[in-house]
Amino acid sequence: MGEPFGLSIGGTMKRHVFLSLIFTAIGAVFCLSSCQSTDKITVTIGMWPESQQTKDLAMFDVWRTRFEATYPQYDIEGAPYTYSVDTVNAKAQANKLPTVFQTWFTEPSMLVANNYIKDITSQLTSLGWLDKMDSSMRQALTFDGKIYGVPRDGYGLGLVLNVSKLAFYGILSDVDGDGKIDLYDKSGNPLYPTTFEQLYEDSQIIDAASDGTEKGFLVLSANKNGGWQFSNFAWNFGAELEKEGNDGKWVGTLDDPKAVEALQWVQKMAQEGLLLNNVTLDYSQWYTRLSSQVDTAVVGNDVLSLAITNGGMSKDDLAFVPMPAGPHGDRYSLFGGTPFVFAANASDDQVKGALLFLEYMGRSPETSDFSKQAIVEGDQVALGKGMPILPTIKAWSDQGYLDMADEIENQYINVNMNYYKDFFDTIYTIRHSEVPYCAQDMYTILDGVLQSVLMNPDLADCQSLLTTANSTFNSQYMSKL
Amino acid sequence: MKMAAAEKKQYRGFWRGKLRKRDLIGWALMLPSILLFTFFVWWPLGSNIGLSFFASVGFNATRFVGFANYETVFHDPIFLKALLNTLKYVGWSLLIGFVIPIFLGLLLSEVVHFKGFFRTVLYFPSMISGIAVVIMWSYLLDPNAIGPLNAIVVALGGTPFLFLSDPHWVIPLIVITMTWRGAGGTMLVYLSALQTIDNSLYEEARIEGAGFLQRIHYVTIPHILPTIRTLLVLQIISVLQIFYEPLVMTSGGGPNGESESLMLLAYQYAFLDAGTASHASLSSATSVILSALIILFTVVYLAFASKQKKEPENA
Repeated sequence: MGEPFGLSIGGTMKRHVFLSLIFTAIGAVFCLSSCQSTDKITVTIGMWPESQQTKDLAMFDVWRTRFEATYPQYDIEGAPYTYSVDTVNAKAQANKLPTVFQTWFTEPSMLVANNYIKDITSQLTSLGWLDKMDSSMRQALTFDGKIYGVPRDGYGLGLVLNVSKLAFYGILSDVDGDGKIDLYDKSGNPLYPTTFEQLYEDSQIIDAASDGTEKGFLVLSANKNGGWQFSNFAWNFGAELEKEGNDGKWVGTLDDPKAVEALQWVQKMAQEGLLLNNVTLDYSQWYTRLSSQVDTAVVGNDVLSLAITNGGMSKDDLAFVPMPAGPHGDRYSLFGGTPFVFAANASDDQVKGALLFLEYMGRSPETSDFSKQAIVEGDQVALGKGMPILPTIKAWSDQGYLDMADEIENQYINVNMNYYKDFFDTIYTIRHSEVPYCAQDMYTILDGVLQSVLMNPDLADCQSLLTTANSTFNSQYMSKL
Repeated sequence: MKMAAAEKKQYRGFWRGKLRKRDLIGWALMLPSILLFTFFVWWPLGSNIGLSFFASVGFNATRFVGFANYETVFHDPIFLKALLNTLKYVGWSLLIGFVIPIFLGLLLSEVVHFKGFFRTVLYFPSMISGIAVVIMWSYLLDPNAIGPLNAIVVALGGTPFLFLSDPHWVIPLIVITMTWRGAGGTMLVYLSALQTIDNSLYEEARIEGAGFLQRIHYVTIPHILPTIRTLLVLQIISVLQIFYEPLVMTSGGGPNGESESLMLLAYQYAFLDAGTASHASLSSATSVILSALIILFTVVYLAFASKQKKEPENA
């Protein structure tokens, strides 16, 4: 009987030789690709631009060349990684996280709890960067007295305005007749809404004038974004959402009467049809809605350019002002930011190399020529791409660094600063960090509360909803601290 | 049927370690598939079941906790909502999505002219990426006047519908989008089953005076019943695993959890609640519960099908 598929059993010498050659060839390829040994320390950079971002890529290549010339013991490799909660687990499990990558200030607690990122306190101490770090940002990156990252920059929540739309509805106008819409009257008083009550009144004007097709304000309520923004509303109405008890234990106080008042303000807006009908809006939608359906929204100053790049708006139509104050005069701005963090499996040498490379990206507190050059190049590339250049909330409080960064920034800012100055003048005094414990869980619960109100504004009982939410929050999360 | 003596001998030989050359070739050919299945299917499956009984840090099991993760999941108010919603998805999909492909298949089998054209047109939505379909429908169903469907409603003097923001309509609307995309593919399977029916049976039925509906009842349905049964169980299994539709269309299960599904909940535990202790274990426990549900449905179906099969034999 012939052998199936034409194979002969037992094998001839030829077959043995042939198979041996194949295995040898495979072995050689593996060896060539992975057995090359150099004495250099490889540092992978997650902030590296993607291949289609040619201008940014060219800039990073220049920074790499400069860095490797100064530190020949290092080999810088680009490993573009856009952080997302969906991918970080898999990458960390497979030890495939870049040596350094950027995330958001909401994430390090989770990354530390899961042992995904590395404590870099000793490296920061030896570089002398610890005391130069913005204290609020440093606190957000500190867990059990250890520091797990370096801040890139900060953001504060504020109110983004579609200036031309607000002028169309008569809320803003060209006061001085220079052909540009102004945010202030002749006495210098803001024309934009500075309180929640004004925001409500302006929304009524817009709704009436547009026959309900446009709304004055955007309320988010999904993917934890609703709870995130509502916590800022509640603070501005005078509420505290978490408190430390006499026994030293922290408890949630979502049912604070002032938080109920804040929720009732949302309810009033919904009852009168002053909000969009969607009850599942999240932060990925503000820029498209701002360009067509709503005239103000709460966003962070770090994402304003999305209104231009993704929302198709002109930079001249954008203004950014502080969060509105509540009825009792409280005014805060939720403060967060973007940190650089380091993979848990990175060696001390790799971390040191990554930190040193930050100087060549203009992201360290160093004021060297390399750092200056990098900041200038960053602004020039952004200008070349037609991006708006705005002031930033600096990650470092060292005066020398601030002077240098501000001097360069002022040369490149390409927006009408009258539209931004109130925000940047006040942010350092009104900034408010997110609640210290279980913030993400609280946001999820508050999303549900907001959706209940938006779905049924006429029947929703704000007090009862927040009491139930608080009970769930304390029993499921805060009691387990 | 009794095993032939030669086969029996060979079988015994195998278990006594007397592997013949021919067996070796067979095993060698199967080995890559076995390795791939082990690595990509059975091992992760086993690990997932194992993880559901352990506390975890990241995705690494730390200590055995028995059924504690299952207890936590069952006590999470969103779990019961997700479980109920998942069953609602199945119910609505049977109501909307199960009959339409059969109807389309029957309709198409009766078409004489432009059959290829209609087949392509009806199958076309199945060729579009699932994510693209749900994004398109999300836009069409925008609850504000800017949404195309609501723009028509407003132009006709009506008030905009809430669509996906309406807790009572969100699941049926998601099922409609799933049906819009999937019906064409299922219809083709029915069409191929319908085309295997001998025309002489229809002719005989006509001669005996059977009308259209009677021909469907006495000739068509009995012939495509095995296909209907198979597609029914496949549809139930598939809908029980609904995931990306609510993830995209209702920003992760809204409004207020009314479109949350078990699969989506497992994803949320694993990735979005990654700051919660043992989040991966909770996700594993949820997916094991979902698997148990799928197995239960399949077993019930198989028992029902085998009972039905036996009944005519016994009759």
